[in-house]
Amino acid sequence: MRELSYAEALRECLRQTMTADERVFMIGEDIGIYGGAFGVSAGLLAEFGKERIIDTPISEAGLAGACIGAALTGMRPVGEIQFMDFVALSMEQIVLQAAKIRFMFGGKATVPMVLRMPGGSGTGAAAQHSESLENWFVHVPGLKVVMPSNAYDAKGLLRAAIYDDNPVIFVEHKLLYRTKADVPEEPYEVPLGKSKIVREGSDLTIVATSIMVQRTLQAAEQLAQENIEVEIIDPRTIKPLDSAPIIDSVKKTGRALVVHEAVKMGGFGGEVVSQIVASEAFDYLEAPVRRLAGLDTPIPYNRTLEYHAVPQVENIVDEARKLVQGGY
Amino acid sequence: MAKAVIMPKFGFTQETADIIKWLVQPGTLVEAGDPIAEVTTDKVDMEVEAPATGILDGIRYQEGETVPVTAIIAYIRQPDEALPPPETEAPPAVAPAHPPAQPAGPDTVAVTPVAARVAAHKGVDVEQVVGSGPGGRITRGDVEAFVAQRDAGGSAKVRAAPAGRRRARELDVDVASVKGSGPRGRVQSWDVQAAHATKPAAVPTTEAGVAEVIPLVGMRRTIAQRMQASFQEAPHMTFSAEIDATAMQALRDRLHAGLSAEQPRVSMTAILLKACAWALRRNPRMNARLSEDRILVLSDVNVGIAVALEDGLIVPVVHHADAKGILELAAEVTAVSSRARAGKLRSQDLMGGTFTISNLGMFGVDSFTAIINPPETGILAVGRIVRRLVVMSDDDVAIRPMMTITLSADHRTVDGAIAAHFLNDLRSALEYPALMTM
Amino acid sequence: MTSKHSTQPDYQTYLQAWGQEKALALLKEMLVIRTFEEKAEELYALGKVHGTMHLSIGQEASAAGASLALRESDYLLNHHRGHGHCLAWGSDVNLMMAEFLGKETGYCRGRGGSMHIANVEANNLGANGIVGGGIPIAVGVGLSIKLRKTDQVVIVMFGDGAANEGAFHESLNMASIWKLPIIYYCENNQYAMSMAVKRAFNIERISQRACAYGIPGVTMDGNDLFAVYAAVSEAVERARAGNGPTLVEAETYRWRGHSKSDRQAYRTREEVKAWQKKDPIRHYARALGLDDAGMERYRAEASEIIDQAVAFAEASPEPSIDTILEGVYA
Repeated sequence: MRELSYAEALRECLRQTMTADERVFMIGEDIGIYGGAFGVSAGLLAEFGKERIIDTPISEAGLAGACIGAALTGMRPVGEIQFMDFVALSMEQIVLQAAKIRFMFGGKATVPMVLRMPGGSGTGAAAQHSESLENWFVHVPGLKVVMPSNAYDAKGLLRAAIYDDNPVIFVEHKLLYRTKADVPEEPYEVPLGKSKIVREGSDLTIVATSIMVQRTLQAAEQLAQENIEVEIIDPRTIKPLDSAPIIDSVKKTGRALVVHEAVKMGGFGGEVVSQIVASEAFDYLEAPVRRLAGLDTPIPYNRTLEYHAVPQVENIVDEARKLVQGGY
Repeated sequence: MAKAVIMPKFGFTQETADIIKWLVQPGTLVEAGDPIAEVTTDKVDMEVEAPATGILDGIRYQEGETVPVTAIIAYIRQPDEALPPPETEAPPAVAPAHPPAQPAGPDTVAVTPVAARVAAHKGVDVEQVVGSGPGGRITRGDVEAFVAQRDAGGSAKVRAAPAGRRRARELDVDVASVKGSGPRGRVQSWDVQAAHATKPAAVPTTEAGVAEVIPLVGMRRTIAQRMQASFQEAPHMTFSAEIDATAMQALRDRLHAGLSAEQPRVSMTAILLKACAWALRRNPRMNARLSEDRILVLSDVNVGIAVALEDGLIVPVVHHADAKGILELAAEVTAVSSRARAGKLRSQDLMGGTFTISNLGMFGVDSFTAIINPPETGILAVGRIVRRLVVMSDDDVAIRPMMTITLSADHRTVDGAIAAHFLNDLRSALEYPALMTM
Repeated sequence: MTSKHSTQPDYQTYLQAWGQEKALALLKEMLVIRTFEEKAEELYALGKVHGTMHLSIGQEASAAGASLALRESDYLLNHHRGHGHCLAWGSDVNLMMAEFLGKETGYCRGRGGSMHIANVEANNLGANGIVGGGIPIAVGVGLSIKLRKTDQVVIVMFGDGAANEGAFHESLNMASIWKLPIIYYCENNQYAMSMAVKRAFNIERISQRACAYGIPGVTMDGNDLFAVYAAVSEAVERARAGNGPTLVEAETYRWRGHSKSDRQAYRTREEVKAWQKKDPIRHYARALGLDDAGMERYRAEASEIIDQAVAFAEASPEPSIDTILEGVYA
């Protein structure tokens, strides 16, 4: 099968949906001739024109509002926030407007919009261009939050997000844009709210999101050489969370670890852990349920410090080994 | 019709406002919108405006008074109008944001959620538990006290993984008996598995010569633990006395003669109870318990009655036995005994005992010694009444109904002299019941 | 681009064009708005209303005049002091009152309340509890109209306070560069809660801000229905013709406090009384040749309509608790 990068897969989805559906358009900063800060929309301006690939001034509140207004009146906008950090400037429109318009209006309106935004560290972009803020949105009723970990899922999840009738926060990862996977050419959907068992194993369940799925897969290869078999689950959509496969897996392995890049304190991992221990899986636990996540710090600029601020493959290996071998 | 001036609601949560000042005197002409009173809420000072043009009249609240919002505080009337009669109308009913909780029916037992959960987990029928919470609601503490009475002791905290505990339940293995291989000795599921696999022919039916295996669980286990602890910790002294039961029987018969058919019979136990309570009052050191390095002499006399059950024994308590008459005690003994046999004891029935009577007379026992029911100081073991030849004080020989009672006392709290004094008082009370009225 | 203060229009020309029936209907509409709010105030004082409300008493001409300049197919984005706009948009007063009392039959099934009344089916995209919250959304509605190539326009209502929010700047700029069919309608009622316009702006008219975005700005007497209609009509015409947005400023005054817990320490009773002399309803009635006595029958009609609405709302069921999660997600 044909290999595409994560960025190419996203672009293919955008091209296919925009070609097939006039309601879909893109709006964001420097997405036109520039092609987007990470090149996702490269070439789309030439194909669809400036009417549908809309470059905005540096106006994050304005562009979020533009998505809401268009969605309310029959369109399916895909907004791009250049760096996830900048979504802080759009929060009023997302949280106080998009998320609750439907509810406030008694369920009589829909806001089918997608806000794409690249999060994550590892590029030396320092503290204001490297954040992982997904859990802000998890806490807001009315929003859905999607985090594709590979090119195949990226294409299929984006299509599902565009055709979902709710505002969807679509969190991409800067370091994943160039990673490749087999991606079918024809349009397809990866449904929202379905977890995926990425790797099967018997000793430990690891729930990982976004780039941490890739790091966990590498860790699992190393652990396999030590006869530790890791089962990896990628929720793909962190809100709504499909927790049943996670619980089933923990019942099988008796141990669980959650890995994400975002800061551990108040992070999404806490939610996963709490769903595990509150479930029937509790009675199958052989060890405490652990989290491996970002340190409680802004992302440092210095390469070494940046590397150590978030979980890396060796951290996952160590933590998994300790959990399985009775370190906790 | 005169227009009512109501105390307006200004804030989300406001329920009352205080009138600071009437800005307009009664009888004054005001225009709609004119401020007529200054009021204050917990938040701010506000003005109440005239709702219509007319004459302010019929002021109902004075300065400094607190007024519920929406209550009428005055009227605006037209010059030719009279005030409405000063009946006190209720403020409009505001629908509660949440429907009020359904009052518990007379048959339902109010239980807090956590108490219900603990009760379910411990296998406690909440109907047996007496609530101490608001409106008699059963709290977690009530259930725990009940459980503590029912089966005090229990195994010490065992470190075990949830999976270890689950496997132990499945294989019927006592997790406390398993050596853990996990961190800090935590019992893992495989430890339980291994313990189960290596259990030395533990399955009892295969044991030669054993007809039946009765697991030491529940009440049996509690009795075993408590009695063992008592016998090991409390140095028991025993004292016996032969009691002439003539007066007791006469008393019983006299009381029976005055009873209607429906009233419970007066048992010998009730008379014994009355006599013990009386003697305990006279010998307070027997009504005491040991608490670490102190002896606590107790103010209430609460006497427990050992009741035999099919497999076990329970000791319901008759509280303030010294303050009750024999008929009242008889009724209580009958009631608690039947509750005990029906398994319907309330937690208070089991709490606060200061002395115990164990009467095995009905089983044909002549005499026996009993083990103290901790933390009490004494227990009285009562044998059957049997007619015997007795040498009387005038050296005559007579046939008398005789009964042997044996007191066990904890030598840590009392010495032999005190116990003997108590036993003598008891004998006096049983042989000359009129003493108890003196 | 310029900003200007509009001149007083010729009332008679408009009245002749509308005819007596339409002219009277506008009077009735304003009376219904005022009566609705007076009743709202009364219900609140009686403790029948949960929460707070923001009354637009004294601003009725602004609501009625602006709506008059629009078509049914156009869009409305409203603000928290929006009962008047909603009624002028042709909303069912029964459903509004039911929403106000939090009933299942209300426009938003009792979920929205006074501050969030919407009727998306009728292109009323809702009132907003966030100051300036609707301003960026209007950009999206304008974009959508442009992409769908219809001749609709969108009017977004906001107050003087919202004009100092950052989103105002972003949105007016975007609307201008893309020539979106938007009427930015600022109801300057002189106070953002307690902050006086004189203290919050260092310019004479808020409409002067239009110059910064290269769009026209106009300020008119918001208590004069004719002036409001004239100014908004011009902005609508421009928008429909594809010439982009206009910033319209209506000078008006709220007679009541910001919300029910406002003790109004920031202004004098004399100032309020002076503005009350410029009652927009009475002003319009005079143009129709009606004195107070002549208005009385229309006032009575309005009271009857509102009383019926209250009866409808009070008889309506409360939302059922088991529907609490409905409407969170589509």
